[in-house]
Amino acid sequence: MTPQGTMPILAASDLRKSYGDFVALDGVSFQVRTGEFLSIIGPNGAGKTTLINVLTGLLRPNTGKVFFKDREITGIGPQRLAKLGIARSFQLVNIFPEFTVDEFLQVAIFSRQGKGTHFFTPRGRDHEVRNQAGDLARLFGLGEKRNIQAKNLPQGDKKLLDVASAFALQPEVILLDEPTSGVSTGDKNKVMEILLSASKKMGIQSIIQVEHDMDLVFSFSDRIIALHQGRILADSTPNEIKRNEEVVCTVLGQKECFQIFSDLFGKKGLADDGRNSQDR
Amino acid sequence: MAYVHMKNPKLWVFLAVTLFLLIMPRLGSQYLSYLLLTFLGYAVALLGVNLLFGIAGLLSFGHALFFALGAYTVAFLTTKFGVLHMEAILLIAIVAGVLLGAAIGAVCVRYIKIYFGLLTLAFGMLFYSFLLKFYYFTGGDEGMRVLRPYLLGMDLSAVPKMQFLLGKYYYYALAALAVASFAMWRIVSSPFGLCLMAIRDNPEKANYLGIDVRRYRWYAFIISGGYTAAGGVLLAPVLGQVDPTLTYWTHSGTLVFMILLGGFNTFFGPMLGAFLYIFLQDTVMSLIPYWRFVFGAMLAFIVIVAPGGVAGVIGSLWKKEAARDSARNNADPGSERSA
Amino acid sequence: MGTDIINILFSGIFYASTLFLVAAGLQVVFGVQRIFNMACGSFYALGAYVGVFFVKTAHAAGLPPALSLIPLIAAGFFLFFIGPIIERGLLRFVYDRDETFQLLLTFAVVLMLEDVIKFIWGTSPQSTSELYLVYGQITWFGAVLPVYNLIVIASSLIIAVLIGYMLARTRFGKIIRATVDNREASEALGINMKVVYAKVFTLGTVLGTMGGALVIPSTAAMTEMGVELIVMAFAVVVIGGLGSMKGAFFGAMVVGILRSIAIATYPEVELLVIYLIVIGVLVFRPEGLFGGSRA
Repeated sequence: MTPQGTMPILAASDLRKSYGDFVALDGVSFQVRTGEFLSIIGPNGAGKTTLINVLTGLLRPNTGKVFFKDREITGIGPQRLAKLGIARSFQLVNIFPEFTVDEFLQVAIFSRQGKGTHFFTPRGRDHEVRNQAGDLARLFGLGEKRNIQAKNLPQGDKKLLDVASAFALQPEVILLDEPTSGVSTGDKNKVMEILLSASKKMGIQSIIQVEHDMDLVFSFSDRIIALHQGRILADSTPNEIKRNEEVVCTVLGQKECFQIFSDLFGKKGLADDGRNSQDR
Repeated sequence: MAYVHMKNPKLWVFLAVTLFLLIMPRLGSQYLSYLLLTFLGYAVALLGVNLLFGIAGLLSFGHALFFALGAYTVAFLTTKFGVLHMEAILLIAIVAGVLLGAAIGAVCVRYIKIYFGLLTLAFGMLFYSFLLKFYYFTGGDEGMRVLRPYLLGMDLSAVPKMQFLLGKYYYYALAALAVASFAMWRIVSSPFGLCLMAIRDNPEKANYLGIDVRRYRWYAFIISGGYTAAGGVLLAPVLGQVDPTLTYWTHSGTLVFMILLGGFNTFFGPMLGAFLYIFLQDTVMSLIPYWRFVFGAMLAFIVIVAPGGVAGVIGSLWKKEAARDSARNNADPGSERSA
Repeated sequence: MGTDIINILFSGIFYASTLFLVAAGLQVVFGVQRIFNMACGSFYALGAYVGVFFVKTAHAAGLPPALSLIPLIAAGFFLFFIGPIIERGLLRFVYDRDETFQLLLTFAVVLMLEDVIKFIWGTSPQSTSELYLVYGQITWFGAVLPVYNLIVIASSLIIAVLIGYMLARTRFGKIIRATVDNREASEALGINMKVVYAKVFTLGTVLGTMGGALVIPSTAAMTEMGVELIVMAFAVVVIGGLGSMKGAFFGAMVVGILRSIAIATYPEVELLVIYLIVIGVLVFRPEGLFGGSRA
């Protein structure tokens, strides 16, 4: 993914959200450009899911705004958001248990095409939608499983199906909440490749994901935002983050910063990468 | 599958049932055919109620309101306004059902589950109290008479009652059921139907896919209002008399009971439920006066053991057979079924 | 005019007292188990029928009529065993199911109990009407008030206070309040939900049967009692707020007095007005007067 142009496709402006005394988001601002692949990282409780919920209009922030291109979309709700061109997948799989893979994808496509209120035409006769559903299923490796009910799929496939249905909306921006959680480590890269090629095929402009697997994050992202206790700790390219760990921490003046970074990036800490990297 | 489709063996069952329905009044006893006639009205009504319950996932405990609306429309139009053409009556009742469904639905679909059930129950009882209060117009708890309507323009008032009911009226109602079923089948097999099922399965996810959950539920409510009213219209001439108990909350409970008995998860389940309910009730009542206890026990059994109803049980037996067959024949697991 | 108002208020409060008991039973079950028990009206009816039976038996055994309150209260308590039968025998199988199925199961119980009553007592009304007069009447500001009604109002108040005390002070009450507030946390704390559910449902049952038993001297036990009462009880808990005891109290007052006013002025509007208010409440303030959570 290469960032194109300078107009941000999604912008968050000073988002704040508290639940009583607990501050989930404490002044979060950032922009996503068209064509960017952005990863949001941070320890549990950092506010990542709250951020996604606010970005997708499920939650209204206490203050702050969210913009889609030049239009304010704060709190408009997921349904209208989907119509505008923003889709989302879920960390905890969110599916239609009784639907087959085929029906699942079809309903998303029908919705996108505005055919949801067509109440007298048989959906079996809509070959265009059926073919699109089939293509999408194959793209996500579910081509052989089209007639299986979602509730009977293995966990990893359920995840893929959830993501695939979000892709079916052909959104301009897609937010993925931990798309590879529940996927076996060996398959994670494959899943990411699928996501990227699907995005290209479906014309999705920007991807925002919440991820824990740092290898994936560093391999695929154009930009990384690190969230900690509701605040943005870092917002730059993977290389810059690797390089400027100390600078970032010094600027922020936090002693725990180093600890946080090594927590974030695990045993394979930045220090190791820094020492091994050629540009040190 | 989110919804059971018809396959060849089922087609035979369908044809057999159709044949049965067609010849029953000719061959069967008058009494049983009369029961079958009441079944026709309920079957049409249940198509509507199940659009809301089985497809969209909303349990209404007040739909008898629309049923009574349809029935009272017939009484009003035939006795007070001299409108005797059945087609006009049906049209007016359906429009009334649609309009009232839109009004009441707009209020009710903002709520789900228990609150939806309670709110619809309240509206049903409100209508009940209306019918009682305005006794000058509605006859209060004594109800109103229903005059014999013209079928397709034919004045059949000279024909003896049973001959009329079990003759031309029966086939008229059967045709109405066929048309209503075909229309509902189209609705259920449409993209709209799939969206309703999505809303039933996971309203949050449906929202995220761009489906306006509340609006679609409203549409389903409106359609169901029209259908249930139509069912009431078909039943009224059979009863000859309408009274407020038609909208009492326990009658709404009966409608739901029928659906559950037959199976809310298949297209013909509710109709099967109406059929079973009516005939079982008749059988049990002739054996012991405590048919409500038996039915209550039946409902409890269904809810606990077989929530898919009779159709659900048949369906799972069928699937077991099919699984055994395919294991035996070693069918290709990658082949796709033709829908 | 003044005596009319007193009469209206008084009979309204009297009716509210019995309604309160049934509604309290509904609320405690809904609050803890999240089940709307349609059969509460049937428990009320059972209490009434058994109440008549106990009173008649007691009289035949020589109990002075003035003490008839005792067999009535005994009837209410006696029927407690229905609670565990229904809860363990039927309800517990659907705890993990959708609310709508739970509701339908309680509807099945309504059907069954209707015929149980018919089986035991037939279809003709049962009453102890002579009993009413035994307690006599008092005159207050010109209004003639049956003493029995006062006794029932007093009993209801006492029971309301006892319930309040139980909820606030006893261990069981604390468990109830904790579960209503946060079910998962309560379970995590090791509270045996099975036992709690059984006890709560039984409590709800007894409140219902007690309400039915206490109302006996003033009306007859009739077949339609249960099915008609649920309509009122339902109005009470909606107006008061689902799950709230305070709601049951104030909701019962509202419904009882409204009904009384309607009966005295325009009887036909009784149900109409109450149901318009129910719908109004559900639309504008679904939590009712005192309810908490969701719509």
